[in-house]
Amino acid sequence: MKKVSVQCRHVRLSYGSTEVLKDVDLDIEPGEFFALLGPSGSGKSTLLRLIAGFSRQQSGEVLIDGVDISAQPPWSRNIGMVFQSYALWPHLSVWDNVAFGLVERRVDRATVRHKVGAALELVGLSAFGDRRPNQLSGGQQQRVALARTIVIEPQVLLLDEPLSNLDKTLRVQMRQELLSMQRRLGLTTIFVTHDQEEAMTTADRMAVLDQGVVQQVGAPATLYDDPVNTFVANFVGTMNLLPGRVHAAGTPAATLQVDGVGDLPLPAQMSAPADERQMLGFRPQSLQMTDAGAARDPQWLWMSGRVEASEFLGEFTRYRVRVGPHSVAVDQTHHAGQHKFAVDGDVSLGLAPSQLRWLSD
Amino acid sequence: MFKRMLVASTLAAAVFAAQAGTVTVVTSFPKELTRIYKTAFEKANPGIKVEILNKNTIQGIAYVRELPVGQRPDIFWASAPDAFEVLAGQKLLDNVAALANKAAPAKVGNYPINNPQGLYLGQALAGYGLMWNTRYMAANKLPAPHQWADLMKPVYFGHVAISSPSRSGTTHLTVETMLQGEGWDKGWHQVLQIAGNCAAVTERSFGVPDGVNNGQFGIGLVVDFFGLAGKYSGFPVEFIYPDVTAVVPANIGLVAGGKNADEAKKFIAFAVSQEGQQLLYDPKISRLPILPPEAMDGKTPKGYPNPFEIAKRAKVHFNSDLSESRYNVVSALFDQTITFRLKELQAATKAIHAAEAALAKTPNPKAAALLKEARDAAFTPVVDAGKVADREFLAVFAASKKDAAVNKRVTALEDHWNTSARQNYERAKALAEQALAR
Amino acid sequence: MNTPTAAAGGLQARPRPGRPVAAVGVRPGVWLAAALVLGFLLLFMVLPVGRVFYTAFVEADGTPTVGHFVAFFSQGLMKESFLNSLYVASVSSIFAALIAVPLAYFTVRFDFRGAILIQTLGVLPLIMPPFVGAVAMQLIFGRSGSLNLLLGEWFGVTLPIMEGLNGVIFVESIHYFPFILMNLTVALRNIDGAMEEAAMNLGCRGWRLFWRVIFPLALPGFVAGASLVFVKVFDDLGTPLVLGQTNLLAPQAYLRITQVGLEDPMGYVISVIMIVFSIAAMALSARVLKGRDYATTQKGGGSIRRRRLSPLGALAAYAWIGAVLLIVLSPHLGVLLLSLAQVWSFSPLPDAYTLAHYATVFQDSSGMIKNTLLYCSLAAGLDVILGVTIAYLIFRTTLPARQWLDWIATASLAVPGIVLAIGFLRLYKGITLPGTDTLLTSTWVMIMLAYAVRRLPYALRSCVAALQQVHVSLEEAAESLGATKLRTIRRVLVPLMAGGILAGFVTSFITAAVELSATILLTSAESQAPMSYGIYLYMQSVAGRGPGAALGVLAIVVVAIGTYLSHGVVERTQSRFAPSAKEAQA
Repeated sequence: MKKVSVQCRHVRLSYGSTEVLKDVDLDIEPGEFFALLGPSGSGKSTLLRLIAGFSRQQSGEVLIDGVDISAQPPWSRNIGMVFQSYALWPHLSVWDNVAFGLVERRVDRATVRHKVGAALELVGLSAFGDRRPNQLSGGQQQRVALARTIVIEPQVLLLDEPLSNLDKTLRVQMRQELLSMQRRLGLTTIFVTHDQEEAMTTADRMAVLDQGVVQQVGAPATLYDDPVNTFVANFVGTMNLLPGRVHAAGTPAATLQVDGVGDLPLPAQMSAPADERQMLGFRPQSLQMTDAGAARDPQWLWMSGRVEASEFLGEFTRYRVRVGPHSVAVDQTHHAGQHKFAVDGDVSLGLAPSQLRWLSD
Repeated sequence: MFKRMLVASTLAAAVFAAQAGTVTVVTSFPKELTRIYKTAFEKANPGIKVEILNKNTIQGIAYVRELPVGQRPDIFWASAPDAFEVLAGQKLLDNVAALANKAAPAKVGNYPINNPQGLYLGQALAGYGLMWNTRYMAANKLPAPHQWADLMKPVYFGHVAISSPSRSGTTHLTVETMLQGEGWDKGWHQVLQIAGNCAAVTERSFGVPDGVNNGQFGIGLVVDFFGLAGKYSGFPVEFIYPDVTAVVPANIGLVAGGKNADEAKKFIAFAVSQEGQQLLYDPKISRLPILPPEAMDGKTPKGYPNPFEIAKRAKVHFNSDLSESRYNVVSALFDQTITFRLKELQAATKAIHAAEAALAKTPNPKAAALLKEARDAAFTPVVDAGKVADREFLAVFAASKKDAAVNKRVTALEDHWNTSARQNYERAKALAEQALAR
Repeated sequence: MNTPTAAAGGLQARPRPGRPVAAVGVRPGVWLAAALVLGFLLLFMVLPVGRVFYTAFVEADGTPTVGHFVAFFSQGLMKESFLNSLYVASVSSIFAALIAVPLAYFTVRFDFRGAILIQTLGVLPLIMPPFVGAVAMQLIFGRSGSLNLLLGEWFGVTLPIMEGLNGVIFVESIHYFPFILMNLTVALRNIDGAMEEAAMNLGCRGWRLFWRVIFPLALPGFVAGASLVFVKVFDDLGTPLVLGQTNLLAPQAYLRITQVGLEDPMGYVISVIMIVFSIAAMALSARVLKGRDYATTQKGGGSIRRRRLSPLGALAAYAWIGAVLLIVLSPHLGVLLLSLAQVWSFSPLPDAYTLAHYATVFQDSSGMIKNTLLYCSLAAGLDVILGVTIAYLIFRTTLPARQWLDWIATASLAVPGIVLAIGFLRLYKGITLPGTDTLLTSTWVMIMLAYAVRRLPYALRSCVAALQQVHVSLEEAAESLGATKLRTIRRVLVPLMAGGILAGFVTSFITAAVELSATILLTSAESQAPMSYGIYLYMQSVAGRGPGAALGVLAIVVVAIGTYLSHGVVERTQSRFAPSAKEAQA
């Protein structure tokens, strides 16, 4: 199958007076596994359905392989879509479900038999052809839904929250299978999810949407390490945010005045925009936590705090440390026999300069 | 569930209260007649309530028959005299000779107005005749008929309506009158030809005048008051008495074993009194009183038919014993060979008419012979005069149908008639078509 | 959706008992309730019908025989009647489907303001009193009716719409198509929109989309409606009687019983055949529906997407709906005209108009109106009490063999009115009311009970649907706070079911108000007569047509008002309570 690119240019979509997609620009590379990530109401599903052809934008273009398909109805776009509920037809057998699109294209019987067989084999359900959808488990249903779209050899594959109906272990397994299948077929795939873990583990690149606006596009690691705003920072992973103001930036006397905490001396190596209100952002796992009186590395930024709570999550322990009026999350990798910080104890929190991010609201 | 107990007890109270001073009347007469009598009687007799049970004649007989003594309705009031014969025969009527109106003549024509044994009284007189819709006739360019025999003419094909003797006591009477007037074989010949011209055989006798009134049918065979009531109600209809007609009384009788015989007698007396008779002149009712016009205090409307004159003119003297003896046979024969086989009969008749018309233009002896054969096939009754006089044969039809053996015999006979008739009609049709082809 | 028409519609949706309610044995109160319900069903349905069966299979002296059946099948007329009934029922179902399917599709698929029109279409035909409707149809579509007179004048042709069996088929299709319309609409609305989108995504559209995906998914609703139409047409007495078509099973049974009396076995044979066939039809449809529970609206899913109609499409749609509406309303129009007509004979419209008939009716018929209100309210009340009880017993208790209550109650759908009446008359012959010597069969209680028995399935379905929307946890919460079962039912369950109960009540009421088949046999006295019988009586005479039609109009108005009011109340109670019910279900 030929790999095609998908592009959105200045797409605007409103329902009545509500703007649902605001000036969306996207460039999806051929053969890419691309994720649309966002909370509910962000417009990600709307965008997906737009590409599928179930709604029409007021302005802007949607291009597949360089051709604007906005005017084409859903049935002629040759795009395969897997719905959140899978939408398998209960009155048809698995075989007939998968064969549906081929029958619609008036493909001859022998070819249908061949292709459907191949598709079922691809998803590992060859023996299930005669079953009805209601006799299958969730995971199996999803595979049938996949097979149904793959068999027509679409240019683009759209997946609308495909894993949200599965339980955790199945989800992990399925996303790997999805990924490997996509690699094998080389299909440009767009995948909608609200679960950042899902997006990060599978996508080549992803776009974070909020209220119809694309916040940031990039590889998962890029979005994680260098979020452009607090929304992305909070949505992709957990981010501690301290509002503050930098004084005397670039000088040895540089300080960060954090609201309610006071002035924190900034190490010289820390670059910072001067004299502006900023959000200081840092990940919970990038903090070094020591007892209050322990030595402090002068290269780092240090805060004092008091442990309010601790949650044991298995792989790590998350502490909630009160720093002034703020509650800071601190993750410490856990191994057996490790020293735990007591609740109500005083601690020092240290942050390496490279882990610091300055974010605008 | 206690709701039901409450209901049951109030019901019992209500019903019990209704018993005292109630006269129950089983009648086939329509609402406007019964309402007028009920209102007038209750006005003259405060304290007595009249309860009307509306049932067609045959239903009424079955109803009375199935109730035990003391549970029965008080009065039976219907058109067909043979119904009363049936009731009398089953000892279901009490003697009411004392209640008769002395001013009424003994007979109308040849027919006694009151039952000689005193078991029932005549309450009104009715004749039978033809009713037609003037607009329909005009639109279809049909001439007005004068005699039953006219209805056999080809021009009336598909424009006539009749009810079935098994469903309508009055139709039974009409058919029986024709049979008695012309003799069994010739009578059936006529009946079949007329039926062949019929568009429908209605389920109840009212269906005919109803259909003529609203223009569904052109002509109908009806009891006179249907025709007259329609005319006086403003419908574009006309009515005449043909020569072959009988004037017979509609009767009222006291049911033996009724609940309230004393007050019921008052009602009967009222119904045959001059006051009660005058109610018959109401245009909605349009029936003929048993009292001659002279005895009606000049209340007779202008141009109102005089039953006694008509009876004098009538050619037939109705023999109700004969009618009773072959009652079920006539009903069953009519149903099996006409009512349920109407489509085939119509088809045969149509073919015969067509052949006749062609023959009139270009005479052809061979075709004429075929046509005669066709007519014989179609219009000869499947039971001939000899058979119907056979006592044994008649006894089969009078026996109870609950007995499976009897039921089987009767059913077999009926089925035989049905199939024979169908075959006859189909043969007739084929012959007529052959005749046409020549 | 718990509106009365939907209740009438959702008749064959067979829900499973659902999550088993843990109970330690069965409480005595439950046994008592079950016994009372069973007692009612036995006394007033099973036994009368059983009596009918019995009489068909025995000789006069009581020995068993199949002789009567042999006699039946050897009579050409009976065979013909049987085949005619099958023919009429099948073709009527087909026509009803032809009318209903496009209408259902319009309502669900398209975004247009005709929706209220279609909802009206769903109710109006059902509230036409049978007798007078057919009479009106004769006046409009008969051989000398308005239509044919005009056609004859202008084009020189006539359409034999009302001739013979065609007339019966025409009237019945128009009368009963709402059953298909309502059932199909509900089923269509329940289809997950994703089903359709998935098909479109794979290249399917238009007619193929309808045929391959949408209709199959709505099939259960369609089959439920169509089988109901079939059974009701098969068993109908009023229309064929009025139109003079006696070569059908129901009229034949009626004629035999009233002509020869209650002793004629042939009437019973016909009754047995009618019941067997009705049950067979319903069983067949249940079998087709088995395993095809396609109610698929999923969490996060909507129903089929609505589309805008192109101007041409809109025109076509409105034209079709308009045409159907006109035909469907023709009996109502006809009745209205007849009620106002002085003389209407052989002309497209009446000669002159008058209000005299209404005057007559108001004078005479307050008794009949009172009777109808009395019998139908009692019957409907009885029905909802039984309905709630049976629903509760089935879904909230572990009473053994409790499904039988549901089946027996629903089986009364297959019992023709005339057969039930015959059964009553036969079974209770000679039995008097305790303490008096009035025959039970001559009281109005029998009429009311016949209504209650025959209408029970509608009320039951409504109550079942309503009960299922109330999650059992709501009752469990009450009980954990100290409320006994009875108090829980009274304070929690019944208020939450109120909408459905009311819907059931109204459906029972309106269908009982226009019932004629059983009424004709069970009404002995005029003073007992309900409106439907009153209309029948009036129609027996020349001067009675006008008043009969006027009474018919009154009946329609009373029933229409009742339905409209109940719709409003149902909507309001549902919106008040629905959110909590839905959340509990999520």
